[in-house]
Amino acid sequence: MKPSTVKIRKMPSRFKHQVPKYKVTRSDACINCGTCARACPYGVHERVEGHNKVKPPIDYKCIGFECQGKDFYCVAKCPRKALSLSLNPMYATLGDFRWTADMITGTWIMAETGYPPQRTDLEYNVGNSGGGFDKLRFKFPAHPPQVDKSEISTAIPLNRRNDGRANVVISTPVYGGGMSFGSVSLPTMVSKARNATIWNTFTCTGEGGYPEMLQPYDDHVITQIATGLFGVREETIQRVKIIEFKYAQGAKPGLGGHLLGEKNTESVAKMREAVKGYPLFSPFPFHSVYSIEDHKKHIDWVKEMNPNALVSVKVSTPNDVDMVAVGSYYAGAHIIHIDGGYGGTGAAPDIAKKNIAMPIEYAITKVHNFLKDEGARDAMTLIASGGIRTAHDLAKAICLGADGVVIGTAELVSLECVRCGNCESGRGCARGIASTDSELADLFDEDWATQRLVNMYHAWNVQLVEILQRFGMRSVKELVGRTDLLEHIDYSHETEFAHNG
Amino acid sequence: MPKKYHIHPKITPLDLDYVFKFKIVRGENCINCGKCTKVCIYEAHKRRKDDPRKMADPNTVVCRNCFRCIQECPRGALEKSLDKDFTNIGGAFWKPDMLISLWKQAEDGKVPVSGAGYRGPFTGTGFDSMWTDMSEIVRPTRDGIHGREYISTSVDLGRKLNHLTFDADGQLASTVPDTVDLPIPILFDTPADNLSSNVKEALVKAAAEISTCIIMPAADITPRVEKYRDNIIPCLAPTEIDTHKAVLKKARLVSIEYSDAVLNDFPGLKKKIKKLSDALTIIRIPAMNDVEGIVAKLAHSGAEIIHIVADYRGQELNGSAGSDRRLLKDIIRAVHLRLVEDRIRDEITLIASGGIAMAEHVPKAMLCGADLTAIDIPLMIALGARIYEEPEKLLIFPEGLGKIPLPIVTQRIVNLMGAWHSQILEMMGAMGIREARRLRGESGRAIFFEEIDKDTFGKLFKKREAVSV
Ligand code: SF4
Ligand code: SF4
Ligand code: SF4
Ligand code: SF4
Repeated sequence: MKPSTVKIRKMPSRFKHQVPKYKVTRSDACINCGTCARACPYGVHERVEGHNKVKPPIDYKCIGFECQGKDFYCVAKCPRKALSLSLNPMYATLGDFRWTADMITGTWIMAETGYPPQRTDLEYNVGNSGGGFDKLRFKFPAHPPQVDKSEISTAIPLNRRNDGRANVVISTPVYGGGMSFGSVSLPTMVSKARNATIWNTFTCTGEGGYPEMLQPYDDHVITQIATGLFGVREETIQRVKIIEFKYAQGAKPGLGGHLLGEKNTESVAKMREAVKGYPLFSPFPFHSVYSIEDHKKHIDWVKEMNPNALVSVKVSTPNDVDMVAVGSYYAGAHIIHIDGGYGGTGAAPDIAKKNIAMPIEYAITKVHNFLKDEGARDAMTLIASGGIRTAHDLAKAICLGADGVVIGTAELVSLECVRCGNCESGRGCARGIASTDSELADLFDEDWATQRLVNMYHAWNVQLVEILQRFGMRSVKELVGRTDLLEHIDYSHETEFAHNG
Repeated sequence: MPKKYHIHPKITPLDLDYVFKFKIVRGENCINCGKCTKVCIYEAHKRRKDDPRKMADPNTVVCRNCFRCIQECPRGALEKSLDKDFTNIGGAFWKPDMLISLWKQAEDGKVPVSGAGYRGPFTGTGFDSMWTDMSEIVRPTRDGIHGREYISTSVDLGRKLNHLTFDADGQLASTVPDTVDLPIPILFDTPADNLSSNVKEALVKAAAEISTCIIMPAADITPRVEKYRDNIIPCLAPTEIDTHKAVLKKARLVSIEYSDAVLNDFPGLKKKIKKLSDALTIIRIPAMNDVEGIVAKLAHSGAEIIHIVADYRGQELNGSAGSDRRLLKDIIRAVHLRLVEDRIRDEITLIASGGIAMAEHVPKAMLCGADLTAIDIPLMIALGARIYEEPEKLLIFPEGLGKIPLPIVTQRIVNLMGAWHSQILEMMGAMGIREARRLRGESGRAIFFEEIDKDTFGKLFKKREAVSV
């Protein structure tokens, strides 16, 4: 399947207002002449015929100061100097160092339109974290070989072992991370699965069981086996193409999973085959795995149960992550999925975030090189996650040595997550994404959510194709490990804009 | 098996003014439709009690920044911003978010948990520029942390022997020096001179409750706290020893302010103390730029316990102001390595303090080479104190703190330590380390930004540049 066959539809915010970057203020001096309404092409000002007052400005549609030079700039056009433009103080309450307000806004626009925003005032490709991906830049050649966009493939194979198991190929090098039922709502899970089907890629159940409603999408769902074994049955292992062992997760490496009692509602408990209202732990680590040999036994067991499926091993990023990766190769895994500490969607102890294990940027390089040195790189698919926020992060991760990435937060942001960080609280998410509270979980429908995800994946694909084209490449596979195409602004004399323009 | 060390938290709110992060203002164009009441699941918006036709002012203390009221108000009548009080507190080191988190921990004693991943910068300075390692497969089980298996956070203070000697009959010939054991690698340090007496008393009681000790000026040891003397470390200058004979006599540990005289004649000082008391001696040294030399010299002349005190932001004390001052992380590493080089590290105990602000700083300081830490300002923040860094350090205690009953004030400190203890366990658990003593100097279980960045990106991007130049 070609990404270009995916259908884009405009899917606006489900809320009346968005979170505006600018504030357009109309003073009492306004005489309701309507000049601004006629001038502004973005619909910030509206004057309904027959009404004698212009409506309050819809400032989230305003493109801001970049308008100053344009001949339709309303502030300049207003005959009474009644308009003014300023930064909205509210914008400072949105986002954080990793996910800046611009990045969230940019992702919302992508989910709405299916394309990267055209606005030049939004820096949506890099965040403000001051390190890692945010300091890496592409070095585009001045005269790349001419490649037509339609010739560019973003597909990657997931089985590189040549072991007779399924040759699973995904159309874009991205798939959706495990978010369990209980940590996110059913409509969120179903929309993720529908999007994965449309994009011919995958989503993952997380460790909370396999809701019945995901069955139509079986071919695009990964069953996760975590230490808690919640809701894992032979039958859920047999129906899918990929099974993922979760050894650790980057957001809380070495701590295991924990679902608060409040979030263990009736339906969650049923799915997990647990008792309602009690907190659920996934202990760390697997109590049956204390060596690579044990690990291999695990994998053999699953392979036996499902003779066609691929096995993925999800680990976090300690100092010896490279050894763990090679161990997984010898144990027979197809995919090594390394999860860094800067991502994560669910609730995690603050002390675990960032403090434990290394950032994904270092881990990718480490694992890629080590697998190469061991002669195992070509037989393994290396997937990175834990801090992949944008299409640029995706391409940078591939340059550093990954084959593809897994995303979680970016998907939730497409569904209008504001990253308020309350997913852990009693009823969970006020925006209905990470909540199993019946009232909140119904805040959006699956059609809306699926299309938002489809759009966001499309916008990323557009950006990825553009990057490949600027490098003169025909396949995303050519990008793997090409660190020579990156520079780091701390280690380089060249300014960050020299190659980026 | 000995009884497990456990700190018992109790939810203990302080009914004082809190700083909050977000401020919401309802504009005049509000039509009192009540939509915001319905959409806010945290109940920030309510109707007025006296006149239900109108909306009350938003209660922004409970706002969790979900934006729903903002996005759903039909009139766009709500405006949100960062609260000025919030942005003004703290500074570059004591970040406002940290204060709020410490308050919360003092309130419920729980490990702070939040969703949606890490929000801060990629790396920072000092302890923020290191990660701790984890153990992918083998480590104490999760129910080991909170359940069956024992993870020990105990440490001991005192001089240790380099090796034991035995006589011809195989009998132990060395005299094993005394040590003081603490169940948690945290001492309390008195943070300010002008503490009210109930705060001082609460600190002492809390220290006793969690079985640690508090370092406090000898002059402050009043009869009211006498009965806790096992948990009090009197702090005094060498010249004051005679004045405080009585206090010293009963102490297990004594903290002596560093001076040249101490450096030049530690054995003399020790002899003088020995005459009065069995207390082990801590030498309290300000973290100056030659501190490792001083510590090494003291260690060789028999010192037992060294306490290195950085400033309240964890910086070196002298040297020119600004960036070239070392931070606590680097000071500890330098001292530790110096003692390792001198082959005397195992014989003495190192306490580090100054700028220990969050639970994670404790195991990180230990990985850098400290045996334990001492904390001060977080204890005050637990009581609702605000700290300001600019233009100079200022601790403001909430009005009315003096009237809060002692058990409440005490419990807040106990809660904070309970939360920290659980967090230290989480980190040790992740590393697969069951013994806090094993953390000390275990830098192989730490990941330092400077090293790994140079090793990864430096190798990838610097070399090439050098070639092309
Ligand atoms: S152009 Fe100025 S005066 Fe005319 S309607 Fe707009 S704001 Fe009012
Ligand atoms: S909106 Fe807030 S609570 Fe909901 S998923 Fe996003 S961060 Fe979590
Ligand atoms: S939703 Fe808006 S208009 Fe309605 S009561 Fe709330 S602030 Fe007023
Ligand atoms: S932003 Fe959310 S939490 Fe805050 S007042 Fe509005 S609805 Fe309530």
